Amino acid sequence: MRTKPSKRLLELTINGETYELAVEPQETLSEVLRNRIGLTGVKEGCGTGECGSCTVLVEGEPVLGCLLLAVECERKRVETIEGQAEEGVLTPVQQAFLEKGAVQCGFCTPGMVLASTALLKRRPNPSEEEIQEALEGHLCRCTGYNKIMEAVLHAASSAADKR
Amino acid sequence: MYLPRFAFEKPTSLKEASSLLTEKAVKSTLLAGGTDLLPRMKYGVADPERLISLKGLGVSAPKVLPEGDLILDGASTLASVALSPEVAENAPLLAAAAGRVATREIRNVATLAGNLCQDTRCLYFNQRHTFQFVEPCFKRGGDFCYFIPKGKKCWAVYMSDTAPALICLGAKIQVEGDGAGALLDLEALYSGDSLHPLTIGSDTIISGIRVPPTGGTRGWAFSKLTLREGMEFGALNIAVLLETGKDPGTCTRARIAVGAVSPAPVRALKSEGLLVGGPFSPALLAEAARQVAEEVTVIPHHGYSKWYLTRALEVEALNALTRAVNQLTGGR
Ligand SMILES: Cc1cc2nc3c(=O)[nH]c(=O)nc-3n(C[C@H](O)[C@H](O)[C@H](O)COP(=O)(O)OP(=O)(O)OC[C@H]3O[C@@H](n4cnc5c(N)ncnc54)[C@H](O)[C@@H]3O)c2cc1C
Ligand code: SF4
Ligand code: FES
Ligand code: FES
Repeated sequence: MRTKPSKRLLELTINGETYELAVEPQETLSEVLRNRIGLTGVKEGCGTGECGSCTVLVEGEPVLGCLLLAVECERKRVETIEGQAEEGVLTPVQQAFLEKGAVQCGFCTPGMVLASTALLKRRPNPSEEEIQEALEGHLCRCTGYNKIMEAVLHAASSAADKR
Repeated sequence: MYLPRFAFEKPTSLKEASSLLTEKAVKSTLLAGGTDLLPRMKYGVADPERLISLKGLGVSAPKVLPEGDLILDGASTLASVALSPEVAENAPLLAAAAGRVATREIRNVATLAGNLCQDTRCLYFNQRHTFQFVEPCFKRGGDFCYFIPKGKKCWAVYMSDTAPALICLGAKIQVEGDGAGALLDLEALYSGDSLHPLTIGSDTIISGIRVPPTGGTRGWAFSKLTLREGMEFGALNIAVLLETGKDPGTCTRARIAVGAVSPAPVRALKSEGLLVGGPFSPALLAEAARQVAEEVTVIPHHGYSKWYLTRALEVEALNALTRAVNQLTGGR
């Protein structure tokens, strides 16, 4: 016997705003963010954990939106690429990606930026190895990764200059 | 890629979770991090009617008992295991293995018990027969194998990185459900059958993992062979734990476990026997590494040939043994 799936009421804080939504158990966090809230900066590439394009921050940690049920995020703090820039002013990581040519088609960019932002929060001066570790789950078909590496290093050093 | 429909429960106690799992009327499966289960559901390899989330139970932090046992909650994330000071201090081999699973995004949600209970895989695992192949293979309830078409069974291999490390450490798992609260040797969790790789029923919950203290001085190494580093599943992995007594050159206990090459992690017992007692010499390590490659029968998988995996196993074994011995003798 298949029990009838039932919708659940879910409270999420997304980019600082609280949303109350009724979601089906099988809806993933990426689906809810894209289809219900309209945050299409969350990209879905593979849907099975292999590309990193669906990365969002939950409680400040990078996770894959395509492999997380929305119902498992009850009352959690979710951040997407749309919540990064404030009043049109890019974050240091976004600015560095732009300056260093780390953005081409842009499909991998939201995930790359969010994972890099989380990395710099816990390691303000990461080594190249630490950057590789933080971004190992992110595929980019365009840039060849060098520019992305340069951008993260640049974001770290420009933040250090400001300190 | 969408998930099929299912019902969802989030119990708040182990007891409630157990009783939901054992309800016969509805086919239930445990959901921990979901990083193994949800892709399988998307591929159509698993189709539970109801998921029982473990997220409502909370997770206790790693702790060390007075007698020295390290106790880990089954629901600990791999990131927390890899970064825990208690684990680094008491079981650095496990910390290293947990840190090599997949990617940070996955390790942030994937759990230790989920890693131990993951399904076996093969190159054809994620192919949906509806658009790519006409016949369902054994994994999907059919009676055909794409990998060995004339074969009579499934040849998928078991990929966990933490299982070989925990087996070397002599870990025990605490199981709830049938035989509630019992401690089982982790090695006994694996059946060696690709289709049903675990010996516990689907209504059993692994609530904890217990790692006994190492006697004497220990040297350890974890190696995982991948072609591109990063997030890949291993072509093979190997964990080594060596112990010595007063004399740092003489081995009193040796453990070698190899993963990702067969339906269950495999101990290299003969090689372990060669190492115990003997002073570590380059010749002994080379002999022990040769023995590992000889006694562990590898299944070719994911495009790696049997010849390649066997040669690579000897190389990785020598590398891991050398690193473990260097730790013991202070060399690098
Ligand atoms: C892209 C990608 C790369 C990966 N790379 C690796 C890799 O390199 N190495 C590796 O080892 N794994 C890898 N994995 C597999 C997987 O992510 C890990 O094995 C992970 O640790 C599984 O844990 P989970 O909590 O997400 O398990 P889940 O998916 O929640 O569960 C897995 C299985 O275990 C059962 N289960 C979960 N918790 C318990 C429990 N407490 N008691 C009993 N049964 C339980 C579930 O019912 C399910 O059948 C990868 C996965 C992906 C998608
Ligand atoms: S080894 Fe054969 S039966 Fe098993 S999953 Fe692969 S194709 Fe299917
Ligand atoms: S879409 Fe989530 S990892 Fe590819
Ligand atoms: S910029 Fe195109 S995928 Fe990375």
